[in-house]
Amino acid sequence: MATQLTPKDFATATPSWWCPGCGDFGVLAALKQSCAELSLQPKDVAFISGIGCSGKISGYLHSYAFHGVHGRALPTATAVKLGNKDLTVIVAGGDGDGYAIGAGHFLHAVRRNPDMTYIVMDNQTYGLTKGQSSPTSMLGYLSGTSPAGNPDAPLNGLAVALAAGGTFLARAFSSEPKAMVEMIKEAVRHPGFAIVEVMSPCVTFNKVNTYKWFKENVYHLSDIEGYDPSNRAKAFDVLTQHGKIPLGVFYREIRPTFEALTLKDSPAIAGLDIDRIDPKLAELQEAYA
Amino acid sequence: MIVNDIEVLFGGQAGDGSLTTGDLIATVFKRMGLDVYTFKDFPSRIRGGHTNYIIRAGEHPHYGVADYVDAMVAFDLECVEKHVDEMRPGGFIIFDNTSEQLTEAVRRADVTYYEVPLAKIAKEDLGLELVRNTISLGVLSQLTGMDPAIVRSLVTRQYERKGEKVVAQNIGAVEAGENYVKEHFASTPSGYGLRARPDVDRLIMMGNDAIGYGALAAGCRFMAGYPITPATDILEWMAKHAPKYGGVVVQAEDELAAINMVIGAAFAGVRAMTATSGPGQALMTEGIGLAAVTETPIVVVECARAGPSTGMPTKTEQSNLNHLIFSGHGEVPRVVLAPGSVEESFYLTVGAFNLAEKYQVPVFILSEQAMCQSKETTPRLDLSAVRVDRGKLHRNGPLTFGEYKRYEFTQDGVSPRAIPGTEGGMHLVPGSEHNDAGVITEDARNRVRIMDKRMHKLVSMRPDLPKAIVHGDRSAGVAFIGYGSNRGPIGEAQDRLAAAGVPSRFLQLRTLWPFPEEEVRDFLAGAQHIFVVENNMTGQVERLVRYVTGPMPNMHRVLKYSGRPFRPIEIIEAVLEVVPHSNGVVPDRTSQPVHSAAPAS
Ligand SMILES: Cc1ncc(C[n+]2csc(CCOP(=O)(O)OP(=O)(O)O)c2C)c(N)n1
Ligand code: SF4
Ligand SMILES: [Mg+2]
Repeated sequence: MATQLTPKDFATATPSWWCPGCGDFGVLAALKQSCAELSLQPKDVAFISGIGCSGKISGYLHSYAFHGVHGRALPTATAVKLGNKDLTVIVAGGDGDGYAIGAGHFLHAVRRNPDMTYIVMDNQTYGLTKGQSSPTSMLGYLSGTSPAGNPDAPLNGLAVALAAGGTFLARAFSSEPKAMVEMIKEAVRHPGFAIVEVMSPCVTFNKVNTYKWFKENVYHLSDIEGYDPSNRAKAFDVLTQHGKIPLGVFYREIRPTFEALTLKDSPAIAGLDIDRIDPKLAELQEAYA
Repeated sequence: MIVNDIEVLFGGQAGDGSLTTGDLIATVFKRMGLDVYTFKDFPSRIRGGHTNYIIRAGEHPHYGVADYVDAMVAFDLECVEKHVDEMRPGGFIIFDNTSEQLTEAVRRADVTYYEVPLAKIAKEDLGLELVRNTISLGVLSQLTGMDPAIVRSLVTRQYERKGEKVVAQNIGAVEAGENYVKEHFASTPSGYGLRARPDVDRLIMMGNDAIGYGALAAGCRFMAGYPITPATDILEWMAKHAPKYGGVVVQAEDELAAINMVIGAAFAGVRAMTATSGPGQALMTEGIGLAAVTETPIVVVECARAGPSTGMPTKTEQSNLNHLIFSGHGEVPRVVLAPGSVEESFYLTVGAFNLAEKYQVPVFILSEQAMCQSKETTPRLDLSAVRVDRGKLHRNGPLTFGEYKRYEFTQDGVSPRAIPGTEGGMHLVPGSEHNDAGVITEDARNRVRIMDKRMHKLVSMRPDLPKAIVHGDRSAGVAFIGYGSNRGPIGEAQDRLAAAGVPSRFLQLRTLWPFPEEEVRDFLAGAQHIFVVENNMTGQVERLVRYVTGPMPNMHRVLKYSGRPFRPIEIIEAVLEVVPHSNGVVPDRTSQPVHSAAPAS
């Protein structure tokens, strides 16, 4: 029996790179805490990240980590899970990574429902490329590429995911660590594709959506009396209302995972013995004789 | 009479079922012990539009189309109009005259026409329009002397699944065709005959099937792809077979997803591949760089078609080689292998997976429409020759964290690979530049060292790369260089040139990258005229050869980029234009005189 690990056991020796005060620190801390509380072992965690300030996070979680190319973390992760379904697969990336360049993959990951957790670190800007507008930037957001104000309506990733068949949708705020840990843990336990969108302020470039702004502009689903996360219509209603930003678990549903539908009961592919040639393979030639 | 040497062109409108009958004809020839090659010349649409299926059979191992068509089965006038110029003098045409009549313009004095109301017989005598194609098989069978028992057994096998009634209807259709010939054309023999030879333990297989089969045999258990002609067959083949061996196949949302999925599966420790064609390869370029820099072993099959952009989706070309070798930003190691036959498609695919894992690089298998969608007769594929070499994949228990380094500097540039789940092997695999431990760094000294490490694998892998094959007379003055589907037509041209007193040597390249400089240099020693034969406009291989040799006054490009494969005569004529020879005419295998120009194709 492996010993109970602490968040420290999920730390790497690599110093983190983010600006002091960046919301991403909170995400990393909550992730380590969640891994420890879930009694995961680093060797069994595959952590795949996108490109951006947010994407750097894969260097800081002691695990089998993969830092791929911009926008492609989800297909990579889906295949890691298919390749070895015994792994706990966690994905993290920015709002640009997931909702702009990777938007196509996002929709299809939602449809497929692989058993993994996707943390969208949403700072409503492109941090790494120095503050341009992102798919979640507010209308009128001023930036180097939108000097006259961002003309694109912000994308509501969770509502889109719900429409596309999402089975676990939650939103956390980087400076509410306790709630975030609970959501991440629930997401990892959820047998399906679990999305946790984290409002993770960029203190350097986004001068609108600051910690202070969030504190004034969020509310909690727990404030809604009798909120029931199995009620799809209600979840959609709450997600699409204008005004303050709701936090909490919006929706939960169990449906078969991608692995269950494709691999059925077969063992993890990575563990198959392929060194010996299966003699049955010879029979395939008969169709061509 | 011309015996055991025939090229049949089976043509009509797309979607009329000619595929099935074409396959049947090919298998009859195979069962009669002949060497068979098929070529699909389809339009890029589902129904309608002229389509034809070429089935060539003979007693020779050079797979490719012939100079001429011997026998045409035409279901409409358009087919005759399009291809009558390709007919060999002395050849024959079976024409369905139910609703159209032959015009004077398509009548040639040196071709025999058998007009048979195929559709009418199908509808009025047999009560089933669908069997029109099968009646034509009976007509062709009777005119060429196919073995009636073989024809019947294969028709039975083909339609068994659909029940006894359908089998009986089709056997009846074959008989109706045979009888029509006996009753109407007894006095006009076709001039072609078949004599059965033993069909000893051979297969007739399509290139794409051989690639799928090779992948499965090599232990590939993950495939992701996005449908694209002419590569889709592989995705479908794997979808059908891989799950029986514990594998999985994903139809991705696009090629960007497909390549990143393959990388993800390989990262997890699974042998993984994708298959695509030009447009998809363009999207995968990003992923190739990622696989190479992260040293993730993947296999990418490129079934080339005519570009650029959407190009001609169902036509053949060798214009994507530059893309495979040079595409992408930055400098990364990669391997490009090119099989020259269906049989080689199997063995090179197996080899591709071993190279990928042993050297932790992306490996391309480059095929072409004229081979990947073509069938060839081939000896049984030898599974006992398949070896799985997983290279430095760590599989013996726990590692010591802190000691294990994913990108450890080694002599051969290859580092031990630990996969998720291995105790103590945790690490980061970054697409960003990194040090030996996988930690991202832009340190100048490290950068040079790790670049050198990755690229050094191109050197250390040399002994394991598939060797080029030299065909013909190694000391001959005439030298050919080519790859892929051109193996067949070049080989045939060689035989015929030799018969006319012009011996030649032919270097069939099988590893195109890293480019086999030494093999090329050795091969060319003493050559007087060099012909680089390729299906593209700019001479992509010829340029690579020139990098090695420097300027060569006697190096000639033999290029074809009409979307159709070479006919051997086109290669022969290119040689005879510059090489002195005694008799101006090189007979082809049927001893028919070769006429001035190559038929339009
Ligand atoms: C194909 C490609 N295009 C552009 C870039 C440059 N780029 C790096 S990160 C990034 C956007 C990052 O924004 P986001 O995903 O929101 O992450 P953040 O930095 O805000 O955490 C861009 C455009 C890239 N790396 N790759
Ligand atoms: S630029 Fe913004 S998102 Fe990036 S590290 Fe700094 S604060 Fe965080
Ligand atoms: Mg962002």
